[in-house]
Amino acid sequence: MTAISGDAVSRSLDRLIPLLMLPVVLIALGPIMRLLAEALGIGSGLTLSHAAEVLGRDSTRIALWHSLVTAGSGTVIAVLIGAAFAFAVALTDIRAKGALVFCLMIPMMIPPQITALAWMQVTGPSSVLLRTLGAAPPLGSPQPLHSAWGIAVLLGIQHASIVFLTLRAGLRLIPGDLIEAARISGARGWRVWAQIVLPLSLPSLAAGGAMTFVTALGNFGIPAMLGIPARYSTLPTLIYQRLTGMGQSVLPEVAVLALLIGTVAIAGVLAGRLFLGRRAYGLAGLSAQPLTLSLGRRRPLVEMLLWIFIVLTLVVPLLALLATSLIPAYGVPLTAETATLRAWVEVLLNQPVTRRAYANSLFLAGLAALILMAVAIPLAWITSRRPTRMTRAVDTLIDLPYALPGVVLAISCILAFMRLPFGITLYGTLTIILLAYLSRFLVVMLRPVQAAIGQLDPAMEEAAASAGARLGRRLRTIVLPLAAPAAAAGAILVFLTAVNELTVSALLWTGGTETLGVVIFNLEDSGDTVMASALAASIVALVILLMGIVQLGSSRLPKGTVPWQI
Amino acid sequence: MADLIFSGISKTFAGARALDGIDARIQKGEFVALLGPSGCGKTTLLRLTAGFEVPDTGSVTLDGQVLAGPGTFVPPEDRNIGIVFQSYALWPHKTVAGNVAYPLEVRRLPVAERRRRVAEALDVTGLTAFADRAPAQLSGGQRQRVALARCLVADPRAVLLDEPLANLDLALRAAMQEAFAAFHRRTGATMLYVTHDQTEALAFADRVAVMQGGRIRQFDSPEALYDRPQDCFVAGFVGDGAVIALAATDTPIGGRIVVRAVGQPIQARCGSAAPTHICVRPEQVRIDPAGPIRARVSGCAYQGGRFRLVLETQGETLVAHAPRRAHPGEEMCLSLGSPWAFRDPAAQVFPQAMQDA
Repeated sequence: MTAISGDAVSRSLDRLIPLLMLPVVLIALGPIMRLLAEALGIGSGLTLSHAAEVLGRDSTRIALWHSLVTAGSGTVIAVLIGAAFAFAVALTDIRAKGALVFCLMIPMMIPPQITALAWMQVTGPSSVLLRTLGAAPPLGSPQPLHSAWGIAVLLGIQHASIVFLTLRAGLRLIPGDLIEAARISGARGWRVWAQIVLPLSLPSLAAGGAMTFVTALGNFGIPAMLGIPARYSTLPTLIYQRLTGMGQSVLPEVAVLALLIGTVAIAGVLAGRLFLGRRAYGLAGLSAQPLTLSLGRRRPLVEMLLWIFIVLTLVVPLLALLATSLIPAYGVPLTAETATLRAWVEVLLNQPVTRRAYANSLFLAGLAALILMAVAIPLAWITSRRPTRMTRAVDTLIDLPYALPGVVLAISCILAFMRLPFGITLYGTLTIILLAYLSRFLVVMLRPVQAAIGQLDPAMEEAAASAGARLGRRLRTIVLPLAAPAAAAGAILVFLTAVNELTVSALLWTGGTETLGVVIFNLEDSGDTVMASALAASIVALVILLMGIVQLGSSRLPKGTVPWQI
Repeated sequence: MADLIFSGISKTFAGARALDGIDARIQKGEFVALLGPSGCGKTTLLRLTAGFEVPDTGSVTLDGQVLAGPGTFVPPEDRNIGIVFQSYALWPHKTVAGNVAYPLEVRRLPVAERRRRVAEALDVTGLTAFADRAPAQLSGGQRQRVALARCLVADPRAVLLDEPLANLDLALRAAMQEAFAAFHRRTGATMLYVTHDQTEALAFADRVAVMQGGRIRQFDSPEALYDRPQDCFVAGFVGDGAVIALAATDTPIGGRIVVRAVGQPIQARCGSAAPTHICVRPEQVRIDPAGPIRARVSGCAYQGGRFRLVLETQGETLVAHAPRRAHPGEEMCLSLGSPWAFRDPAAQVFPQAMQDA
């Protein structure tokens, strides 16, 4: 134990940090940087003329307008739904809040193309549910969801939970004594809500709206399922159609489109951060008393309205999906005689494409979850225990691949991994999808682990250091076991999100590497609605099962780990 | 040279000076308390000793080995110094025995040896019955003892305690103080104990370093701190009583001096040539109908068996103990019995010579 030279504390760490940061930066941020370079024409002379030409086209302007309209009106709908639920859950004494929140979160975790598929089974002339009930519109009448409004409504329902979570988190920051002060001043009921609660929660509401807008803007599944049949294209579907129709020759063009949507999205992200930054201002109250306004006799009515909404937007579409999956052929009504599990058997056991898709998706999601779990623990430890300017910058930037629309990341990955040195290309392999998943979902894994490590008393590690344990041993024997529950929850979230993923893989798949999201989309696209429904219903069951597992373990996890319990 | 030596240590955090030229020598086997108000730098000094902080200047030496100094830094895991944290920092995923065994596992001791020493450490701290419990199942005092056992099991060269009693209730605190002292007598380990509670520090430490503003104000035995404080901060911070600026002084002869304060000539003990203040402890204030000092009672608090009186005289405040209750506004006569006169290094106003007064 002779004295060693230099600042040894940081020396052993300094070796670890670049070792970990370099691949993280390369994989998480490299593709996005590559996209920027492409659009600016780096390599073929720095010029913006190409970008200007693409942006000037009618198709671009129409798709941009459609994107803004559907995402905008979808956001308004999401804000109305999410805010109603958030105020009811956070402020009032309604019962069974846990079950209500869980149900409200399911649409967020279900892949959007399944949401669209399920809703298409509720409305329209061939709806099995309506036909079974004898309430279907006449054959030949149009599917009402194949429209801008259809897209907007489904985007609103799909993303209402984002508004809900942001607003509820904000409402929890409002000290209960502010309400008590208003009531002691004589204000009651609606007046308290309108004059105290609402003004204080506006920044949260605005932040939630901005985040919803960004997510809705990047949504591919819903406009693809509802818009493409109606020839109503948004930016993500335009990119998809150009790339699948024309192949790699249009890459420079779609890169510009991807940057366009990325720019709009970043504006939304920044607006959201601005609002979030404002909300905690001056609200540091001492009272931990939660807000609860008694609804009195109106409580059953409010509860009934909320549950009716859940039934209409969640239970009915899922039942319709299930009904469609149980008929022998599209168009046959569901009765006790016609009901069959044939489609289920086909997709789960017989069809090579769906079986391969299941294998691919489970493999990709599982591997991504494992790799990210291995990276996230040391990375989270560095960002929270040894913050430097570089780690803080990386910490902020790794939000980008997740916050940016999936098409942007997919285009970035194609550009980055298509022509690697030594003639290697990853295009058309599972590896490129895996790399895209690693980039996109790193932050999903990292945040829960950061929350867990942030709540660990640093003295735990100092005690281990005093006991003689070096960094590697401390990470392995102290940090790892204590962060493991959060890492497991994060891994399930990554797995869940990756299994459901369509946007990235829709642009990256080729024959043999299709994922579940892609196969549902293709089945429906080729008219195989029954099989698509059966596959979709099986995925919904898997999603709800995984969510249930996380939910059961949530009481043992640090606060902030489970996204629907912020 | 088996001592813990700090020399010339300074440490700055984001422009704020936490330690400012610390020089001290702690002998092997000594039980030393670092006492001071919060923010005085005592915890920083402890963490420097453990190796969690690196000093900006100066050096830390233990048993002749430089732990931290110019161009040298021994990381905490190589120092073999035990530490008990204020939060105990027990690992919640390990049992009591698992927590205690960890330092031995890290040192790769043979299993049999490990078991023997864990059992011994649990026995010393009275935890044998709790070996298989999880830390969450223990009371505060038991957790404290686990932390102590964990830090002792590896036979550390020094034991650091960071406000170890701050999270315990009063009754338990007294019992744990006793346990630390007994433990120190038994093992003879060098112990460095951070606290802001002077009763804790004065009760058991061999010597106490009183810290303020990143400096050690006085490093002395508890009785010396109480009887012979070196400056106004120590006189006011340690023990009860009053610190009074002197109006005039005579020449000291043989450790005695006549000074003028509260309008009276007073016989005081003294250790410096030109004292500026006296420190008057409550037991040096006698309620004496024939006493020369007239004072008015401004406060009275019962302290179990006696009353603590706050007395105003000549613009100064004195504290006295009395057997009977007194009422605010009541007047009484006092005499003072040999208070301690000292020279405050920061004094700006100096007393006149007695003959001029």
